[in-house]
Amino acid sequence: MEMLLFMASLIAENLTYSYSRQSQLVLDEVSVELKPGTLTALVGPNGAGKSTLLGLLQGRSKPDKGEITIDSHPLLDSRSQISLMPQRGKLNWNFPITVEGLVALGRVNHSRSTCCEVEAALQRVGISDLGKRRLDSLSGGQQQRALLAKTLMTPAKILLLDEPCSALDPPAREDFLLIIRQLAEAGLSLFVSSHDWGTSLNAYDKVVALDKHVLASGTPEVVKEKLDSFSCMHGSYCRA
Amino acid sequence: MVAIAVLNLYSTLETWWLIPFCVILLTGILCPAMGTVLITHKRLLQVNLISHCVLPGLALAVALGVSPSIGGVFSGLFGSLAAEALTNKKNENYEAIMNTILAGSLGLGVLLIPLLGIRIDLESVLFGDLLTANLGDLTRTIISFLVFISLILFGYEKLVHIGLDPEGASDSGIKVSYLNLLLGLTTALVIVSSMSAIGVILVIALLSTPALLGLQQAPSLWVAMVRSAMFGSLISVLGFLLALTFNMSPGPLVAVLCILLIGLLPRKRNN
Repeated sequence: MEMLLFMASLIAENLTYSYSRQSQLVLDEVSVELKPGTLTALVGPNGAGKSTLLGLLQGRSKPDKGEITIDSHPLLDSRSQISLMPQRGKLNWNFPITVEGLVALGRVNHSRSTCCEVEAALQRVGISDLGKRRLDSLSGGQQQRALLAKTLMTPAKILLLDEPCSALDPPAREDFLLIIRQLAEAGLSLFVSSHDWGTSLNAYDKVVALDKHVLASGTPEVVKEKLDSFSCMHGSYCRA
Repeated sequence: MVAIAVLNLYSTLETWWLIPFCVILLTGILCPAMGTVLITHKRLLQVNLISHCVLPGLALAVALGVSPSIGGVFSGLFGSLAAEALTNKKNENYEAIMNTILAGSLGLGVLLIPLLGIRIDLESVLFGDLLTANLGDLTRTIISFLVFISLILFGYEKLVHIGLDPEGASDSGIKVSYLNLLLGLTTALVIVSSMSAIGVILVIALLSTPALLGLQQAPSLWVAMVRSAMFGSLISVLGFLLALTFNMSPGPLVAVLCILLIGLLPRKRNN
């Protein structure tokens, strides 16, 4: 019962988005529901609108149509409930900073973070022994964990992870999936975008397949079955 | 009595070198520290643009009877804004356009000198004339130093966040473009203030090379800045002493020493 107080659910309905009025739709009538304590995958080919959707859910950009609510409150009033872990390519990994330094930056409005908070975030992702190491001395998997720890410094209960496993080898990917599973079990709601629609989808509670609009949504088995009928998910552009 | 004794002593000693020495020492500390911030923010090409944009402002200021430094800072700031606009547009020809503006600005500055009928020692502006540095040059360097220290004191954590993750910094409420503008203004100030020590063109060497060494394995930006400043001051003072010994121009000598310093960079092993 106590845990429910710290949970939040997100509902996005009929989101439509284009970069300009003349340009093609990037997202067309996309609806998503993220329940507390669930691990949801967002899969789709390149250009499917995954990052755009995450940007809308985070509140960075506004949809042309549609509505996003968190626990029945408009997104604008509840932005602190959402935190985004960006794609690897968005970060300057050669920046002179330690893992602790990176994690401490995740604190809201740059308020002073105590060492205990940083330590706790590092422990949650299993790299508490790497706090003093420089960021660029870590492996790709460890860097992703450090970035996740930074994301965990916010009070957000809904985490959006933009392709966190894209540069990881299979063992590191499995480790990462295990960590985010533990976070979901602790009551957080995680929405994880990915190119990988293979066996690793089984690690998720729910899968949303996107290619400008929602192709399929449901349990991994249900979505995989539906996806088999779409050639788009295997490389070519989808017209379904 | 003591004061008179000190004054007498001061007047009997050879003190002409004191101001140039202070100018090169401060420049040797300031430029690498500033360069460290700029390299980590991937803004070194923009610095090159700013340094080349300084000359037209200098020429116009001299023609208008205003302090050349003010003109230089304003045109440097214009260069910074142009670079910022080009970067934000993410134009695929970004580097080519930037280099064209860079060369064009320098060309405009050179053309303005005869067109406006003014006298500017172009060589000392571009390559420095340290041995003739005066109290005005020292004051300019101290002001730039104080502005840079203020920027670091009040905006350190924000600068770190922007350098590491610009989009994340913006999401967390940091006014990224405002801070980038402040960074551009400070850069223009630093470049203009180092005009007498090393010149607006050669300053790029002192902004980059010591910073590259300082950044090696540094656990934080401020440690990297301190290390870069140590390397920079060392090389600047060495350049100054060698220039006096061998009767050479200090600015170009410091720039050449920076090339030698590159040899100290550890080589990355190719796996």
